[in-house]
Amino acid sequence: MTDRERDELFVRLRDADPSSSLPPADPAGVARLLEDAMSHDTMTETRGTGTRGRSPLTWLVAAAAVALIVAAGVFALLPRGGDQPSVASPDPTASDPTASEPTVTELTMPAAAAGRCMVPTAQMLGSAAYAFDGTVTGIDAGVVTLEVDRWYAGGESDLVQVDQASADLNALTLAPIFEAGGRFLVAGTEDGSVMVCGFSGPYTAELADLYTKAFAA
Amino acid sequence: MGTDEHPNIRRARFEELARAELIEPLRRFLTRRTDPATADDVLSETLLVCWRRFDELPDDAPLPWAYGVARNCLANARRSRHRQERLAARVAAVAAPQEDPDPAGSRDVVLHEALGRLREDEAELLRLWAWEQLTPAEIATVLDVTPNAVSIRLLRAREKLKAEIGKFEAGAGHEQSEGGTR
Repeated sequence: MTDRERDELFVRLRDADPSSSLPPADPAGVARLLEDAMSHDTMTETRGTGTRGRSPLTWLVAAAAVALIVAAGVFALLPRGGDQPSVASPDPTASDPTASEPTVTELTMPAAAAGRCMVPTAQMLGSAAYAFDGTVTGIDAGVVTLEVDRWYAGGESDLVQVDQASADLNALTLAPIFEAGGRFLVAGTEDGSVMVCGFSGPYTAELADLYTKAFAA
Repeated sequence: MGTDEHPNIRRARFEELARAELIEPLRRFLTRRTDPATADDVLSETLLVCWRRFDELPDDAPLPWAYGVARNCLANARRSRHRQERLAARVAAVAAPQEDPDPAGSRDVVLHEALGRLREDEAELLRLWAWEQLTPAEIATVLDVTPNAVSIRLLRAREKLKAEIGKFEAGAGHEQSEGGTR
């Protein structure tokens, strides 16, 4: 008998423990819990908390910066959906040299694809002109903005803007449906069209492996 | 812990720790403090934070640290629920804030009443002491205060709880004797 056991108040409190009738967790539930927790790999979470804590002011400033760049780059831009993906770079002489303003690459979703999807291979993916790992920072009027963590191929910009896929396109071609805050791997062809059929999608270890293999050389 | 540890080994290590030492006590911790649906949500949030901050988990005594995480996650859940309720109340003009359901499985009504009359921080100290059965040093980890402060406050909280129980029982006795004279 411990000291506590001799303590009347302790025993009375302990006996009133509301969890005393709680049955043990079912093993399937525990497995699911752990799977869910660990599916957020450390990298993603660091990014997640990094942006979650930002004040609305930070976002406002960021949004203003993006708006400025889009406005400044308007002359350099090709129309959306043109033959080349448009890259707007701020004119270094025109902007404040101390401000590192993000650059934007624009990609489009393909029109509903004719033909069938093939199993994604590293070799096919390796032909992509653009490929990056990025996090969705905003979705506005069907245009998704991603902040690029890493370019595997093609681009150099800080941000990418891409059309949100329709549910139909997603059903037909597995075109990714972007979600705010989500981490995605996205590949695009020479003409700035997103590669669908499983080449682009939410970040998973498998897809990341495929990207690593495809762009290893 | 080295950050160059292989991810699979790291996962296995976390899984083993979570299964053996964290999940069951955390479930109980949350069951004691909130409704089942919130407890489920907060448990997964807590595990996520523990996984994310695995390197900070103390090797020798991870549980009090994890209780501290659960406490913060629960506080966040309550705050956001209050926000949602306020919003819902404004929109629907029907304010029906849900009370935390009565702690289930306990028949000691006097004790729960008395506990409810203490300040929240005092009640929490007593819960950590008697339900989680932590030592003052462990409670100090959960609450992020010094063990010394815990010991002193715990002593005070115990006295207050005893006094509250005394008031209730005296009141009950009084009513009973009144009833008896009629």
